[in-house]
Amino acid sequence: MQNALLITLLLPTLAVPLVYLIGKKSAKHAAILVALIAIADIVLLFTTVPAVMDSMPEHRYFESYYWIPALGSSFTLFVDGVSLSMAIITLILILTAALFSVNYMREKKGLAEYYALLTLLSIGLVGVFITSNLMLFYFCWELMLVPAYFIIGGWGYKEPYRAAFKFFIFTHAGAVFVLLGIGAIFMVTGNLDMFQAQTILMTAQPELVRWILLSLTIGFAVKMAVVPVHMWLPDAHSEAPAPMSALLSGVIIGAGAYAIIRVSLGTVFPAVTAVFGNQFLHGLALFGVISAFFGSFIALVETDIKRIIAYSSIAHMGYVLFGISLFPFQEAMTGTVLHLVNHAASKGLFFLSAGAVMSQLQIRDIREMGGLAGQMPVTATASTAAALSIAGVPPFACFISEFLIFVGAFQTINSDGFYLLPTVLMLVATVLSLAYALRYTSHVFLGSSKSEKAKEVPFFMKLAMGILTVFVILVGVWPTFFIDLISTVSFV
Amino acid sequence: MIDILEVSLPIIVFVLFSLLTIPVVKAIRKRKNGKTSLFLGWFSIVFVIATIVVANLAVKYYEQPVPQAFLNITLASEQFAIFSSSFLIDAMSVYMAIIFTIVGAVVFLYSIFYVGPKEKTSERYYSIMLIMIGCVIGAAFSGDLLTLFIFWEASAAASSFLMFYKKTPESLNATLKYLVMIIIASAFIIYGLSIVYGIAGTLNFWAVKQTLIALENKHLLVVAFIFIAAGYAIEAAVVPFHMWLPDAYTEAPASSSAFLSALIDQGSYYILLRVLIYILTPTFVLNWIPMLAVFSALTMIVGNLLALAQKNVKRLIANVCIADVGYNLVAITSVAPLGIMGNLFFFLTGGITTALAFMTVGILNTMGIESLEDFSGIGRKAPLTSLALLFGAFSFAGVPPLAGFIAKYLVFTAAIEANLGWLAIIGVLTSIIQAAYFLRLINQMYAKTPEKEVKMKEPKKLLIPVFILVGVIIVLGIYPTLVLDLIEPVIQQFPFIP
Repeated sequence: MQNALLITLLLPTLAVPLVYLIGKKSAKHAAILVALIAIADIVLLFTTVPAVMDSMPEHRYFESYYWIPALGSSFTLFVDGVSLSMAIITLILILTAALFSVNYMREKKGLAEYYALLTLLSIGLVGVFITSNLMLFYFCWELMLVPAYFIIGGWGYKEPYRAAFKFFIFTHAGAVFVLLGIGAIFMVTGNLDMFQAQTILMTAQPELVRWILLSLTIGFAVKMAVVPVHMWLPDAHSEAPAPMSALLSGVIIGAGAYAIIRVSLGTVFPAVTAVFGNQFLHGLALFGVISAFFGSFIALVETDIKRIIAYSSIAHMGYVLFGISLFPFQEAMTGTVLHLVNHAASKGLFFLSAGAVMSQLQIRDIREMGGLAGQMPVTATASTAAALSIAGVPPFACFISEFLIFVGAFQTINSDGFYLLPTVLMLVATVLSLAYALRYTSHVFLGSSKSEKAKEVPFFMKLAMGILTVFVILVGVWPTFFIDLISTVSFV
Repeated sequence: MIDILEVSLPIIVFVLFSLLTIPVVKAIRKRKNGKTSLFLGWFSIVFVIATIVVANLAVKYYEQPVPQAFLNITLASEQFAIFSSSFLIDAMSVYMAIIFTIVGAVVFLYSIFYVGPKEKTSERYYSIMLIMIGCVIGAAFSGDLLTLFIFWEASAAASSFLMFYKKTPESLNATLKYLVMIIIASAFIIYGLSIVYGIAGTLNFWAVKQTLIALENKHLLVVAFIFIAAGYAIEAAVVPFHMWLPDAYTEAPASSSAFLSALIDQGSYYILLRVLIYILTPTFVLNWIPMLAVFSALTMIVGNLLALAQKNVKRLIANVCIADVGYNLVAITSVAPLGIMGNLFFFLTGGITTALAFMTVGILNTMGIESLEDFSGIGRKAPLTSLALLFGAFSFAGVPPLAGFIAKYLVFTAAIEANLGWLAIIGVLTSIIQAAYFLRLINQMYAKTPEKEVKMKEPKKLLIPVFILVGVIIVLGIYPTLVLDLIEPVIQQFPFIP
């Protein structure tokens, strides 16, 4: 289709008031409308797959519209293998979040606003992945923030606005550093297109470009919740309603990683590879290892059902950051992007199943749970699939991607001895992730039942978890589609 | 060719209608019913005529047979031209006249509803607002320092009437403070001007600039510059001369605060821009950049910290006005086309955002909601007003897709371009503080449950101008090209006045 990407963004934009109005009448129908829009968007994105596969040699598909020439910006939308994969998993998560909310949010008030905000959020989330203009990118980057803030604050647990406040301030603070970087790019190149700016930056002073790179990467790292700028994540993820946690943990932090790959490394890094390349990548690897260990250890001792999963997200962003630091090895980068996709699906599923458990038990401490496998078989299956995938057990999705990252790591060791120790440490961290995944599963689902009244969750929650379970297993046994798609992108 | 009449017509129109307003409003008030609609009718006539006159000037300017960027139009004939009062028409003054007229009209609409036809002295209020719009447009068009001074002081003095309209003891006190500051400022300026006149023998922008470039002994110039800059800095509320602003804007009625922040504040930045960039541009004449950079950093920091510590919401917004001065100064400091673009965009968006905030807070104030605690749960009690304030707050904080974001982006980028990276970083950090206190306000509005779930009656009429402004900040945020196209010619005229 000619304007597929534009329609992908316009469809949810136009639907926001519609969702709100329908939501006033019937929340269920609004949720289904959100899900339908997500499906339509997925179909639209798939129509661009042939164009991406066929266009040689770049494998990119572009659409460009008139916007702000005075700021060197046009409304450029584009997809390649990486952004397509990310956008598709994002929409799948939006779809499942909306379906899950039908039952999960049923007793809450103001659902019309909730679904309207969810639609708004989907624009920002998808937009981040499918634009190549930095200004538009930043628009979408912040557009993820505002609806997420209100969803966490308005429908979360305990003191949700406190957590939402922390989330907003941290990520907004990160975002202004991104803005500073983007401003500097514009100043140097007079152009805000990621690919055109990259060529022009090559001729700029490396000294300045280094600051741009650092400013951007720090900003993105906050969103990605890398230790030590992770402080917002545990609160935000555990206080948010389950569908929002799934999105936060699945794609919002993934967007941070995507941005590092796309903007920091794709646009800015080539200009300073010679003078600053190794230090930068080694730094990323170190922060990756620290995050992986930090997240895993806390997940191992935490007792709050959602905080365990939240800390495991920090650990997994550690893997991703380690994978990113192997730039530009093709296997490693493919593995990293695939891990973003797989982690999004697995972690989304994990949070949804935790939400399902919480909706039945009304408690959060895993020590007070137990034996739910008999009472909630579907939830138990979904949760176990998610836990095993997070732990990197075959044949679940994350195994493949972690495997690819490690293949890349071993290749890198040949050329750069520095990576030996981090790689070994990351392998140790994998064991830790298996430990907390098993601890979680055994506490919640195995043993004797401590709660008589828990029942299996209603249909839409099962449906949402079912979709993601199928996805996690399908990608685990047949990752070819995503690998083919992602490996069309050449990172070198 | 544009003649003197066409230039002075916008000013004359506003002044004339300002005088006519007094009898007309009095006559309308004597009638029994339909007062508000007659008011609306009368003032729409005023603004339609003013818009036509300004538009005519703009069209004439852009369709000159022999394009000339800077038109110097003097009252006297050729040989005395250099001594005479003169007007300067360029893309920038045309742009300023346009936004003053449009923003003035929207804020005026609000004050018609806010002050109301029933109050006895309202005709003076309206009349002063009109004359002030005329004066700021006059200041925008001035071509020499004295004309600028006269028009600007006229509008500054008139501001005091808007401030103490309610005649409460606090407002009289605040106005007095303001007047004392303004009088000191004008004394400074006039003293500085006399020195400049002594050096250059003229006050005309061109002539002054030419003389200053050729000037060898700069001691006197430094003295003159310090006086003039200090004077205008007091009027623009640059820290440490900002003390009058929070008092004055908090005690004034909301419609006055909105008007002053949207027009007079922006006008004062405009004058700083004119004087610094147009006359002292080649910084070898006088290198004022480091000094101004320090002041702008101070202003951003102090303004935002004061706002952070504030419990009274109206006072908080007034302190944001100070912070906005800082952001504008960053752009002026950069002396770059991008910075000027940022400035001019900021004049519009900063003005309407502060106006929007004052308007919504004004609506809430009439319901007795003033301090931060009172704001708890307002999101549910007064949903529309809160929504408008929410947009204003996010625009202040620089969250896209609202207009405030584009303005901040331009300003910070300009600072980086001018090699003032540290200033950009301070700007960015203070803008995080800004996000923090606005978010605290939003938290208060939406997170806290009110003690009683009573819906308040929101005055629907007052919300019309408010939502016009909300619409503008959204549209300009998503599609800033609308205004940037108007600013583009200004940038092409850089460096200003050859």
